[in-house]
Amino acid sequence: MKRRIRVTRLLLWLSVLAFVAPGFAGQARVPGESEEARDLKTFADRVQAYVKMQKDLEASLSTLKPTKDAAQIVEHQHALARKIADARRDARQGDIFTHEVTERFRKIIRKAFQGPEGRLARRTIQQDTPFKVPVLRVNDVYPEGIPLTTTPPTLLLKLPELPPELAYRFVGRDLTLKDIKAGLIVDIIPKAIPRGLLL
Amino acid sequence: MTAIRCAAFVSCVALAAISLSLHAQELTLPLKTDSVRFAAIGDMGNGNKEQYEVAGQMLAYRGKFPFEFVLMLGDDLIGGKEPIDYQNKFELPYKALLDAGVKFYAVFGNHDISNERFYKLFNMNGQEYYTFKKGNVRFFALDSNYMKPQQLAWLEKELQNSGSDWKICYFHHPLYSSGATHGSATELRLLLEPLFVKYGVQVVFAGHDHVYERVKPQKGTYYFTEGASGELRKGDLRKTDLTAAGYDQDRSFMLVEIAGDELYFQTISRTGVTVDSGVIRRAAKIAGAASWPTVRPGHGGLPGRTVANAIGVGFTRAPTATE
Repeated sequence: MKRRIRVTRLLLWLSVLAFVAPGFAGQARVPGESEEARDLKTFADRVQAYVKMQKDLEASLSTLKPTKDAAQIVEHQHALARKIADARRDARQGDIFTHEVTERFRKIIRKAFQGPEGRLARRTIQQDTPFKVPVLRVNDVYPEGIPLTTTPPTLLLKLPELPPELAYRFVGRDLTLKDIKAGLIVDIIPKAIPRGLLL
Repeated sequence: MTAIRCAAFVSCVALAAISLSLHAQELTLPLKTDSVRFAAIGDMGNGNKEQYEVAGQMLAYRGKFPFEFVLMLGDDLIGGKEPIDYQNKFELPYKALLDAGVKFYAVFGNHDISNERFYKLFNMNGQEYYTFKKGNVRFFALDSNYMKPQQLAWLEKELQNSGSDWKICYFHHPLYSSGATHGSATELRLLLEPLFVKYGVQVVFAGHDHVYERVKPQKGTYYFTEGASGELRKGDLRKTDLTAAGYDQDRSFMLVEIAGDELYFQTISRTGVTVDSGVIRRAAKIAGAASWPTVRPGHGGLPGRTVANAIGVGFTRAPTATE
């Protein structure tokens, strides 16, 4: 009789657990979501800090306005790139794409490229990826001779928006954050597109 | 027997050459009063001899068809971007046109860099994408390398507010193309085409594939690829259901005239031969609906002429063939 009661209690306890556990699991997702928001806030803050530094450095140069003098445009870009590279001489991969941000981006990118829905994004990348993909590092000047790969527009709808000074650019499977005025690589997520998703 | 065949072949070639030279420098555009006149070139900026030859042909045609401006469909400076490159790949080839006051309106290709927007002679005014108006035509110059959400929102707003009769978009990557190397930019199409349909964009110009192609109207919009004004991928045009006309045997450029509800176009090779021509008619606008055009190939051209090396559909300019 006692044994039957014990079994009944155990079953009751288990049924209570089965009822409550999903609620706990649901609660556990909330901190996960706020972590995501926190990670993306970190990214946004670091991007803003970079842009502020770029603008401050550019302010020390003569203002670049539309000009017929191509030398002025080229010199401005080179001077700005030198100043930024100097100010960020200790910059490392991951300064802006932190580990957590990198993982978030990898997820977004994988989702955007995989499966039948990712077919168009894969095609966009495959159409334009140069045969010889250079190895790029932070503070490198984006090689002018290498054609740009179109950043898949459907992916751009899913990644955090950037200020106009910066752009997401794929070089092979790597995602780079590019300063479009200085032509510099600001940060990189290596092998952001999973192997096997591109031919 | 072989000698006779050879002689016959040579005669045929000679006749074809004479025929083509007679056809060279023939203007099919109507030169109507107060029309909007422009040229379109794409993938031109390599600084090679052929780019200069196309530029020379543009100048020669301008004597007959005084176009006021040129749409540059991207890859404006291919390779180096030093000051000497701006000179050799743009200022020198188009010097006579620039000196005559012809304005060039550029968009970025995948070989261009963002700072080209500050080059005054590209008329981008520091913008990656922009719009301008000529007569009853509103042009939308887009950056197809980087179609960010802000650009899409901007385009929709500008299209919505455009009261112009004609809406023409141009950018580098073709939404429809039979080029074997690149082909259609289908992902970009997914985002842009609904806007073109919704707001009644009649004509789109692009480059990227190094050929010339006129695509059959897609959802009411006419698509031209002119990506062979300097670069060329000979034989790269596949025969597909998309193609209305095409040319992939030499470099080319386009001349366009818009007068009232009609858009006349003529595509000319590096040697001055007309390889395609026609007229697109803007349908009368019904309140609340986009206005769709119809095309009649062969306006003003020699009837039924087909240029050698055509890709199946060829360059037939039969004035009776209406799509």
